[in-house]
Amino acid sequence: MTTRTKLASLIIIAGLATIISPFLGADLISLSSLQTPGHPEAEVFWVLRLPRSLGAFLAGAGLSLGGMVFQALFRNPLATPFTLGVASGSAFGASVYIWLGASFLGSFGPLSASFLGAGLSMALVYLATRSQGGLSTSVMLLAGVIVNFFFSSLVLFIQYIGSATESLRITHWLMGSLVGLETPRLPDLAFIILVGASVIRFLAPEIDLLVSGEELAASRGVEVKRTKLIIFVTASIMVGAIVSLTGPIGFVGLMVPQAARWILGWSHKILTIAVFFLGGAFLAVTDLLSRVILAPAEIPIGVLTALLGGPFFLITLFSTRRKGQLL
Amino acid sequence: MSALLEAQDFSLAINNQWILKNISFQVESGQYLSIIGPNGAGKSTLIKALLRLIENAKTTGRILLLGRDLKDFPRKELARLIGYAPQAGGWIPPYTVREFITLSRYSSSERSKDNLALARALSLTSLEDLADRTLATLSGGERQKAYLAAALAQETPILALDEPTSFLDPRRAFELDNLLLDLHQNQKLTIITVTHDLNHPSLNAGLALVLKKGALSYFGEGQTLFNGQILEEAFDHQFVHLAHPKSQRALVLAQ
Repeated sequence: MTTRTKLASLIIIAGLATIISPFLGADLISLSSLQTPGHPEAEVFWVLRLPRSLGAFLAGAGLSLGGMVFQALFRNPLATPFTLGVASGSAFGASVYIWLGASFLGSFGPLSASFLGAGLSMALVYLATRSQGGLSTSVMLLAGVIVNFFFSSLVLFIQYIGSATESLRITHWLMGSLVGLETPRLPDLAFIILVGASVIRFLAPEIDLLVSGEELAASRGVEVKRTKLIIFVTASIMVGAIVSLTGPIGFVGLMVPQAARWILGWSHKILTIAVFFLGGAFLAVTDLLSRVILAPAEIPIGVLTALLGGPFFLITLFSTRRKGQLL
Repeated sequence: MSALLEAQDFSLAINNQWILKNISFQVESGQYLSIIGPNGAGKSTLIKALLRLIENAKTTGRILLLGRDLKDFPRKELARLIGYAPQAGGWIPPYTVREFITLSRYSSSERSKDNLALARALSLTSLEDLADRTLATLSGGERQKAYLAAALAQETPILALDEPTSFLDPRRAFELDNLLLDLHQNQKLTIITVTHDLNHPSLNAGLALVLKKGALSYFGEGQTLFNGQILEEAFDHQFVHLAHPKSQRALVLAQ
């Protein structure tokens, strides 16, 4: 099977899985009910399930693309969209908002606070990296890890000094969930993810060369510093926007790019498209599972992706050991 | 008329450590320059400096390419002028030989010529049979040839090579040296190579540049490199001087 055939098959399967997922759940929704005006199932479909599936698709696509570019940038398959501290910065913002008992900006409040936190972590990582001159990947990685730990510690501190209710709300936010993803936010999220995905697709040849090493990429004509900066900012904005809406949904950005590489190889022209659809479909289907496994209760989607992530980690480890190299 | 490549009193420091000190030399179009010197002399740093590959370095003096300061070249333009093959050690890109060579066409504005450049590079380096193997599955020597093939696929008038034969057995090293000589003589490529083979500049009738502790200790004809005590002083070692039994060219052997 050629790479293009594999890609086309993958897009079709991912598309079908995403389209089918809002019809499934604790109760099945029939196609005929959608054609009946005022049918309660149609209401559930259009108001609840479809926006949520679309949100899951966009979040999965964005997190997976974020993981893909960070894995390429750091030449490390264990890099995730949260490696540079965006998620913990975002969590810090949301935690402060919850702890202050703030209610300004209504439902837009926690979103803005967490997006602000994500921006703060991005700025800290950028400034710390620049302080060492240039835009060294290893310094950036180190700065990301430090910022990650720092904000995670601050979140724990806020949970410690906050009331039991606040602490529980923060814990719930940290589990990651699509429940709070409001329909009016979907166009904003779609805009950010589609622009981000387009930028990454446009930079695919540069990313391919960066995987070969920064020195080699520069010798072939890549403006390495500028490219890395664009990748860092684009991925961070995408991930920050997603996390501010859903909380940190882990492991998606780790698993999906790896799986796509196993199937399609290393060309980021192809990978970007594959990871977008595969990541989107993966989270849409995982969201479906989170709704049905303990129906009518829901498992937070972040818990489910983490449960899938553990075995995936082990498979990756054994597979890379067999192949003799990590990437 | 300005030289193709010229270093003017060029010095370079990394973390305030001066690695290259007051280097001056000129390379004209179509010349073959061998950079030699003991370990840690700054050979690889010099070749990387010629491609502006060292980030965050402090420099004084300048390097001119076609009369223009190297700093003024956009990266793509530089990649269209100088093809580069680094040492094959360290990180191994996860690509097949074919993919790796094709990637080196990044700076080219003629996508239609990519397949031709790939085929030519594979043919020149005799890598056709290994084209679909990943770099990780190749031997060090085969990988080194893939790096050279990628540099050739850039189709540049200048080739900058960092120890291109270091992982090769004597026969493959001889074949690769002959290939480079052929490209130099018949296609008028300018070649700048780092080598530990002290006889290299003499055998290919090119120029030699000798570095010692980052400073230039000799720049001139390879034929006259063995005159006096140039190598002895650069390497702090004695050499036996003799003539090649067939070509009668001067040779040295470490004593």
